[in-house]
Amino acid sequence: MNEELDSQLSAMFDDELPTAECELLARRLSRDEQLKARWGRYAVVGAVIRAERGVRLNAPLAGRISAVLLAEPSLESIPTAALRRPGMRWWQPLAASGLAAGVAAVSVLWLRTQAPVSAPVTAQLAPASGLHVGALLPARAAGSAQGDSYVVPPTPQIVPVVVPSTELANYVVAHSMFSSPVARRNLLSAFMTSEPAAAPPEEAQSDAKKAAR
Amino acid sequence: MPRKLRASGRLCSLALAVAVSGGALADEVARAPAQWLERMNQALNTRNYDGTFSHWHGGQVEMLRIIHRVQDGTVSERLASLDGSGREFIRTGASLACYLPDKRTVLVEQRPAQESLVGFPTVNDQTANFYDVREVGRTRLNRRDTHIITVSPKDEYRYGYRLWIDDTTAMPLKTQLCDPHGRVIEQIVFANLTLPARIPDSAFRPEVSTDGFQWLRNGALPPGPQAASLAWNAMRLPPGFRMTVRSAQVLPGSATPVDHLVFTDGFASVSVFVEVQQGQAQPSAVAQSAAVGSSSAYSTVIDGHKITAVGEVPPATVQFIATQVKAQDPAAGAAAPRR
Repeated sequence: MNEELDSQLSAMFDDELPTAECELLARRLSRDEQLKARWGRYAVVGAVIRAERGVRLNAPLAGRISAVLLAEPSLESIPTAALRRPGMRWWQPLAASGLAAGVAAVSVLWLRTQAPVSAPVTAQLAPASGLHVGALLPARAAGSAQGDSYVVPPTPQIVPVVVPSTELANYVVAHSMFSSPVARRNLLSAFMTSEPAAAPPEEAQSDAKKAAR
Repeated sequence: MPRKLRASGRLCSLALAVAVSGGALADEVARAPAQWLERMNQALNTRNYDGTFSHWHGGQVEMLRIIHRVQDGTVSERLASLDGSGREFIRTGASLACYLPDKRTVLVEQRPAQESLVGFPTVNDQTANFYDVREVGRTRLNRRDTHIITVSPKDEYRYGYRLWIDDTTAMPLKTQLCDPHGRVIEQIVFANLTLPARIPDSAFRPEVSTDGFQWLRNGALPPGPQAASLAWNAMRLPPGFRMTVRSAQVLPGSATPVDHLVFTDGFASVSVFVEVQQGQAQPSAVAQSAAVGSSSAYSTVIDGHKITAVGEVPPATVQFIATQVKAQDPAAGAAAPRR
């Protein structure tokens, strides 16, 4: 990928690309897989810079990004004038942001499809449940989800729900006898509401164990 | 005694009485939130109640119903999912049946009577070293006056709670489980709650049809001394945790006995199960993490035994405890675990 294209992509992500160029680049994004991948990486880096929750990177990539970010000079140390291009017009960010929002859908889809299989699904757009969860969220949790982003909408912290096997069910039931009443109710309620479809059948587990021996 | 001296003596007595009563009052105020927790635990264990509540965790909400009855000293409890898996728990005395329609299985756990609630966590003076218990306000919830009690952990080994406790009945109408940073990770809110004087036996029958289900019951312990099973202990524990129960049992569907150790800090508890590893351990089975709601589980293999820790604590805590469990020489006696 040439430098000019890279620079255009970067400018587009920063809402600093003129409208006409934005349109051209958006068209190219829709058909150029390599460019789309690069846009996705920008989205992830952007999310990390904004310290958004809900984005998980694999450890090596996260480490590399952290190292780069640590090596970067802080914003305070850069003169404000250097952050603006000469000749920057007030309308450019506004015009670009409209198109960028449209292109954002591409990056959302990219993020969702690129998520590692083993990682929990954290970049979901809406709760799976039909109920309005937001109303139940406490103010503090809702308040902590700052920095609205069209790339990765803030979501409550999601702990991967591992559906109990019969063995784990045994342990949970045996343990619940020794929990405090409130903790026991939480534990058993969570056990009951875990998604049964996600559990591998006991027979399949047993077969897998036999095959591994 | 001269009058002057008697007067100053009375003054001193009065000052002392004021100081003592003031101290007692301050002490009483400080203990009030903990007393609300005790009253709540007592209400949950001793009252009859029937309620429907929402359970929120990880962006998912489900409705459940709980029915609890204490009659002639026997506790019966039924917890049923109203719109999800159809799973049900029905407890009668020391017997707990777990109906799993998705697995077409019923697990029946029978506990020895003498073990019932032996390791039940209690809020005591030591708890204050690891949790900050406060009343942070009063509010109306479901048209009832409630006290908002927070239980904040002082380190990252445990979770915290926010509880909305009914002023009249001491029942928790809303509970939030918070991670060590105060973020809510699980919430239960009652939509309705009644406290009937009598609850019929029919309320404790499962709704699910168990035709063709596999019933797994825990069997009797094999004959012979259990001394070897008493040799497991944790070499180190997170601050405040101590072992309160150590027993051997056979879990439903299992042929081999399992050692069950319970550790508690007075509020949270962690169970550790130790069983002989069947066959050769697969690399992937050496260490596994799991979560049931906000509760954590961690399984590893130590000295040919599978060690599994389960508890309503952060994942790091169950991992810490599981990896510290070691077999000790019974002849050397059980060494006190370091904390």
